Amino acid sequence: MSPPQSRTPPPAPPPSSARQQTPGSSSSSARGAPPPPHADGAGLQSRPSFRDSKYSEILGADVVSLPDLRRLAWNGVPPAYRPTVWKLLCGYMPANRDRRAAALARKRREYAEAVAAHFAAAADAARSAQEQALLRQILVDIPRTAPDAPLFAEVAAVQRSMTRALYVWAQRHPASGYVQGINDLLTPFYVVFLGEHVVGGEGGGAGAAAAAAAAALPEEALKEIEADAYWCLTKLLDNIQDHYTAMQPGLQRMVLRLEELVRRIDLDLHAHLAAEGVQFIQFAFRWMNCLLMRELPLPAIVRAWDTYLSEEDGGFESFHVYVCAALLCKFSPALLRLDFAALVLFLQDMPTRAWSEADVEPLLSQAYILSTLFENSSAHLNVTS
Amino acid sequence: MAGKDEEYDYLFKVVLIGDSGVGKSNLLSRFTRNEFNLESKSTIGVEFATKSIQTENKVIKAQIWDTAGQERYRAITSAYYRGAVGALLVYDISKHITFENVERWLKELRDHAEANIVVMLVGNKCDLRHLRTVSVEEATEFAEKNKLAFIETSALDASGVDTAFQRILTEIYRLMNKKQMSAGGSSPTPALGQGETIALSSGATDKAGSRSKTACSGCRT
Repeated sequence: MSPPQSRTPPPAPPPSSARQQTPGSSSSSARGAPPPPHADGAGLQSRPSFRDSKYSEILGADVVSLPDLRRLAWNGVPPAYRPTVWKLLCGYMPANRDRRAAALARKRREYAEAVAAHFAAAADAARSAQEQALLRQILVDIPRTAPDAPLFAEVAAVQRSMTRALYVWAQRHPASGYVQGINDLLTPFYVVFLGEHVVGGEGGGAGAAAAAAAAALPEEALKEIEADAYWCLTKLLDNIQDHYTAMQPGLQRMVLRLEELVRRIDLDLHAHLAAEGVQFIQFAFRWMNCLLMRELPLPAIVRAWDTYLSEEDGGFESFHVYVCAALLCKFSPALLRLDFAALVLFLQDMPTRAWSEADVEPLLSQAYILSTLFENSSAHLNVTS
Repeated sequence: MAGKDEEYDYLFKVVLIGDSGVGKSNLLSRFTRNEFNLESKSTIGVEFATKSIQTENKVIKAQIWDTAGQERYRAITSAYYRGAVGALLVYDISKHITFENVERWLKELRDHAEANIVVMLVGNKCDLRHLRTVSVEEATEFAEKNKLAFIETSALDASGVDTAFQRILTEIYRLMNKKQMSAGGSSPTPALGQGETIALSSGATDKAGSRSKTACSGCRT
């Protein structure tokens, strides 16, 4: 997620000031300090007017300051601003206001042309065996992408739209192609961008209301959402390409880093997992491959992505590893009592499926603190044995 | 999730393999929890479950690793073949391509699994009678040719599922027993640590018992 603009300083001040943040302290929020680990979300929600004015100020500028936007968005984006903020932070929408309309129109046209070239034009019989296998795989996965969310499980137009987007993406990225889990990663963009088209909708939902709204959308509006989601997914995946290429080296790297981090943060837990014969790859592979989308519900993921997208770069890679470390260590007391089978069962079905935004925020704060302790220490991590 | 193991005599590691969407995860959830979910999410990497069964007065604990079907995950999933003494190779009777790919899965096993792994061919979704594209005869013939046990199942209506697991575990137990007898071993009471499994080292697929053909009742065409 690094837009072409200049590098910004780290999005947040050191943990010491984060710890001192008080709920009413607007200045530290403006500087992007994450809430302290034990803060609940209520503090943030109690001062919407301040946040709103900051957002309208930053987004209202002729050229949006991405460093300022990152600092603000790190702490969570109000649903009304989220579609715009995500498109900016993805590097999809130009920071320069004057260029936006033309740029988006051009990207949406390009996408429509890509659909025509790759997807629509070919009759099934005209597809190569490889293309048929690709389409078959996507069609197998689409109905089960988010089976509990009516927006994705019940709206045929949304399913067709996602099928096209995934197919075109795979065709244009042959080094990785479509890998299961990429379908999961597409859903937050639909949820957020649909919010723009739902009058009075609070956004962020994938429930019955969102499904009804999506089903009633004019075709053109859904096509815009599809194109925007396609391009933002593309931007996201551009940064983590080797997570999905052959042998998935990026994921293996992240799993190793997670293990090393946990060894340094929680030696007892690391030793217990080792003694029981649990390997990190056995549970953390999916945490990396689907970016915790199988562990956390969509609203919590959307909130986490506010932060991931606000990280200068590596939000979906290095910062995500810190989040995973914080998550694992959070359950350390429970895990220490379990044997091999119970550990694996626990870790592949975490008690986090009903988490809300308020549950995920302390985790992000904890991850931030870990990142300040261990940042730029990959070498440091590797040296130890 | 209490964590403490029930008593068991043997711990066998079994893997579930086969194309994406053939119903591996539902076979596992039907067997271990008696649950079925028409649209369960795709398996990423591997998932794990255990269940104990009784056979010939022994308690056998099956440690079952359910693997992702998509090709990209082979590098990850094939690591789990090591130490497995059984494999359920699943296809979907309503999708012929998943049966055609069984050859490729056998090659995967030859490349990565123990040479003596007991393999059972499983034609799942046999409730979809009207959509059948793989006949019992065709699958039986293939299984005989490749010395595989064969059964049809429906994770949806549960037919054949317990039988499939029961049979493969019993088969593994018999082969292991026979091997220990011929090796002159005394009473088999293996002390297994967590995650350890018994590996067979000879003669896993050469007996008629591993070739019996069973289509689930009502599913014969």
